[in-house]
Amino acid sequence: MAQLTADRRVLRADLHGDRIRAASGSMVAFEGDIDFKSAGMGAGGGMRAALKRAVAGESLSLMDCTGHGRAYLAKDAMDVLVVDLAGDTLTAESQHVLAHTDGLRLDVQFAGLRGMTSGQGLATTTVTGQGQVALVSEGPIMALEVAPGQDLVVDPDAYVGCRGQLQMGLVSGVSWKSLVGEGTGEPFSLRFSGHGLVLVQSAER
Amino acid sequence: MPFETVNSKVVRARVSPQAPVLARRGAMLGYSGRVGFRPVRGQGGGMAGFLGAAVSGETNPMMATEGQGEVLYGYRGLHVTVLELDGSAPLVCEADRLLAHDAGLQTSVQFLGSGGVRAAVGGAMTGQGLFTTNVHGRGAVALLSHGGAFPLQVAGTSIGVDPQAYVGHVGQLQVDVAARMGLRDAVGRGSGEAFQLRISGSGTVYVQASEQKF
Repeated sequence: MAQLTADRRVLRADLHGDRIRAASGSMVAFEGDIDFKSAGMGAGGGMRAALKRAVAGESLSLMDCTGHGRAYLAKDAMDVLVVDLAGDTLTAESQHVLAHTDGLRLDVQFAGLRGMTSGQGLATTTVTGQGQVALVSEGPIMALEVAPGQDLVVDPDAYVGCRGQLQMGLVSGVSWKSLVGEGTGEPFSLRFSGHGLVLVQSAER
Repeated sequence: MPFETVNSKVVRARVSPQAPVLARRGAMLGYSGRVGFRPVRGQGGGMAGFLGAAVSGETNPMMATEGQGEVLYGYRGLHVTVLELDGSAPLVCEADRLLAHDAGLQTSVQFLGSGGVRAAVGGAMTGQGLFTTNVHGRGAVALLSHGGAFPLQVAGTSIGVDPQAYVGHVGQLQVDVAARMGLRDAVGRGSGEAFQLRISGSGTVYVQASEQKF
C-alpha cells in the first residue's frame, strides 16, 4: 500500500509496486524505479469526468506515478497536509490537491454561487473512498471545527476544503460603501453550518 | 562556524579580520560592529576566472565583507540552507544560489560541455545552463532555495531529480540528463516530467520543494 507522508513543504510517497496520482509536474526528486505518466484528460476519472471538468472549468491535471521507491512531491514551496479518508468524503479546491492514493476517487461537484464569488470557477472537487490525499496550501492549513449551533464563516479566498456533514451558504457584506470603493475588502464570506471540519489556509489567493 | 541561522530565511555571519565573508551583492540586511563592504568582480581565480564568469553568464555579483562584527544576510525571502564543506569534495551548484560563503573557499566555473555534447544539450534543454559553479575548500556556504533545500543521500544507487528543483550536490556524483520524451509530451499531454536529472554515485543532493527558479 502506497504511503504518503508530509514533511512540511515536501510530500514523501513510498511506492511498493502500486500507484498514486499526483499533480502534473509536482515531482521534485525520486529514489528507486518510478514511472511518471499523464493520467489523461479526466485526471483518471474517464471521459465523463473530463467532460464535467471541461463544463465546470475546474482544471486538474494529474499524472500516474507507478513503481517501487520513494517520490518527493512539492508545489511552489507550499505547505503539505496529508488527510486520511476512511470511506468519507473530502471536498477541496482542485488547485490544492497534490496527490492521492489509488483507493480514492475524484469527482467534480458544482458549487454554484460560491464559485462565482471567489473566482474559483463553478465547481469543486470531491475526494471519496479509502486512502490518503495530500493537500497543498499557502501557509499551514488550519482545521476549524463546525458543530450544530456553532456556525463558521470563512473568507472564500482562504478556503481550501471541508469534510463532514456541512451546508455551505453565502454571506454578503455588500453595501453602498463597497460600491463607492470604501468596502472592507470582505464583500463575500462562506458560512458553514452542520457538523464537520473546514480547512483554511493562512493566506488569501 | 561563521554562519548561524537566525530563522529559516536569514543567516548571521561573524566576520573578523582573519575570516572575511563573500556574499551576494545587496544581500546584507543589517550589521553591527566595524564592517566594510567591497564589491568583488568575477568568481575569483584571477583573470581566467573573471573571463570564465563573463563568458558563461554564470556570474553572481559578490561583495566581500571585511572587518570585525556580525552581519545579517538574506535575499528576497528565499530560504537559506547552511552547508559545511569539509574539503573532501566540492559543492556543485549554480552561481545565483550562493548567498554567502567563507572567503577562504574558492569558486570556479565549470563548463558542462566538457562532459560531451549530450551534457551540453541537456544543460540547455533543462534550463540549467551550460555552466555550473564549483565551490572548493573547507568552510561554510549559505545556499538559497525556494521553499528550503532538503538533502537526499545517494549511496551507490541513482536518483532522479527535477531540473528546476535541483539545488546542488556534494560528493562523487555523476549528473546525467535523462529525457523521457514520448508522443504524449509532444502533443502537450505529458506528465510534466519529461526531463530529469539522473544523479548516481555517492554523496548528497540538495533539492528544493518547488520548481520555481529565481
